Amino acid sequence: MAKGSLVARRIDIYDNVKPPLCTSCGKPLNPSSKAVSFYCPNCGVFLIWRCEKCRTQGSTYKCPNCGFEGP
Amino acid sequence: METLVPVELYRKMGVIVGTQICTKYMKRFVYKIIQEGFYILDVAKIDERLRLAGKFLSTFEPEKIAVVSVRVYGQKPAYMMCKYVGCKAILGRVIPGTFTNPRLEYYLEPDVVLVTDPRTDRQAVIEASKAGIPVVAFADTDNKVELIDLVIPANNRGRKSLALLYWILTREILRNKNILAPKQDLDVGPEAFMVQKTVESES
Ligand SMILES: [Zn+2]
Ligand SMILES: [Zn+2]
Repeated sequence: MAKGSLVARRIDIYDNVKPPLCTSCGKPLNPSSKAVSFYCPNCGVFLIWRCEKCRTQGSTYKCPNCGFEGP
Repeated sequence: METLVPVELYRKMGVIVGTQICTKYMKRFVYKIIQEGFYILDVAKIDERLRLAGKFLSTFEPEKIAVVSVRVYGQKPAYMMCKYVGCKAILGRVIPGTFTNPRLEYYLEPDVVLVTDPRTDRQAVIEASKAGIPVVAFADTDNKVELIDLVIPANNRGRKSLALLYWILTREILRNKNILAPKQDLDVGPEAFMVQKTVESES
């Protein structure tokens, strides 16, 4: 097994707390915003996130797993 | 694929009849416009969305589903659905804080909310949004889909239409939960979900 870099990268706190991305607009979700999440109504596999703005505008979302388009 | 109920029944109960207005988003569910300017919904799309919504709602704990109807014609259907499924009915006016203020007597903490009409049930939709709860809605051609996460296109005004819609959805949820067998019916028909006609009300 090859030896890793001598300067091991330390686990950054941000590696663990990456905010989820809005499935519609792709932007990271602000933890204080009124976003919702739910499993895709069609395949039930992918967790869909919708930011407050996309929900308010009635923007569509598309499941990357099955292609279902909502709302 | 076979529809959940015969196409003729969807027609007879007025489920496919839209309004004379169609919002941008709802256009995708329209089949045609008839002479008087009424939009007619695509029965295959109504059926498909009822199937989807049934599957989706069945993934939640029954007591974590709130079903809302300010509209009178939706109240008995919503009540009956809750009776069969075990969900929570909110009939009539929705008090601000219903999903956000634990000190309220009628405080509920649902994981999903089903509304009869995004406009008349607007308060419930706003409350759900504040609490970060996904919303499923019956939506007619004139409805906007803001703050709605899953649309079931349908006539959400008619007495008969709402009875049939809630009846089908109830059956779908119970079938998906294996409480009913795949082809099994409820022990009552859609009439049992219908508000009785009074002298002054029209169908
Ligand atoms: Zn977004
Ligand atoms: Zn999917």
